[in-house]
Amino acid sequence: MTPEQKLSALFAAEAPPARDYVFQARMAEAIALRRAWMTVAALVPWAVAAIAILWALIPVVGPMSDSLGSALQPAAAMLAGAAVTTVAALWLARRFGRGIRTPFSAR
Amino acid sequence: MGGLQTDAELVGRALAGSDAAFSRLIERHQAAVRGFLRRMLGGGWAEADDVAQETFLAAWGALRSLKEPAGVRAWLCGIAWRKAQDRIRSSRRSAARDTVWLEMVETPAGVSPEDRISVAAAMAELPPDVRACVALCLADGWSHAEASAALGLPLGTVKSHVARGRARLLKALGGPDDA
Repeated sequence: MTPEQKLSALFAAEAPPARDYVFQARMAEAIALRRAWMTVAALVPWAVAAIAILWALIPVVGPMSDSLGSALQPAAAMLAGAAVTTVAALWLARRFGRGIRTPFSAR
Repeated sequence: MGGLQTDAELVGRALAGSDAAFSRLIERHQAAVRGFLRRMLGGGWAEADDVAQETFLAAWGALRSLKEPAGVRAWLCGIAWRKAQDRIRSSRRSAARDTVWLEMVETPAGVSPEDRISVAAAMAELPPDVRACVALCLADGWSHAEASAALGLPLGTVKSHVARGRARLLKALGGPDDA
């Protein structure tokens, strides 16, 4: 083997495989982690702003909460009832609707 | 899905938020980037792979700065080059550890372990920019112009670096000293 050929062989031996799923999986994990941190970082200013607004509203909302509490009680009960009815309706529709829809989707 | 998409199309999709498109770019260019870093950093390949990971993460974050989407491979190797320079400057590399690792690696047929160690030592002695030119042009077959664009070096400098580096490596393998 000439020195030139040896050099080529040594360079070729260092080449990584054309496809490396382990490396790609590591990269996908690293990118997902980076994206998650970026999402958290993007939410921080909004969270700080929301906390500041709530803190600023305490003197206004605090005295009203006692008088509003009794007035909002019936409305809250109605909203809770509506929510329970909606959840039940969705569950029933999914439970029984599946049997009805199957023949159509199977066509 | 989209097996034959060009780099420019994949870059466009990645810019629109597709992680799958960026994964395809990694799949396509990981061998070039990791091979370049292995030759640049020498020693154990784990360090080169760590720098390759940093390179792709930096590229993901800076994709909007890519001016020529078709030239993504050169752009990635340019980022890898800067990361490798930082690593060379900051790391306390152990020559003894690198030699132990080289002795463990299987050598290609027709090449002795001594040849391998001599070439690794000669590579390590080359200045980083000469090593980068050798890694891209001699080992990976890039043209001088491509290497010049990726490394941000003048074309004439790349040509002279490749010639000088090649002569040094061949001399380490018992070739003529025509540097």
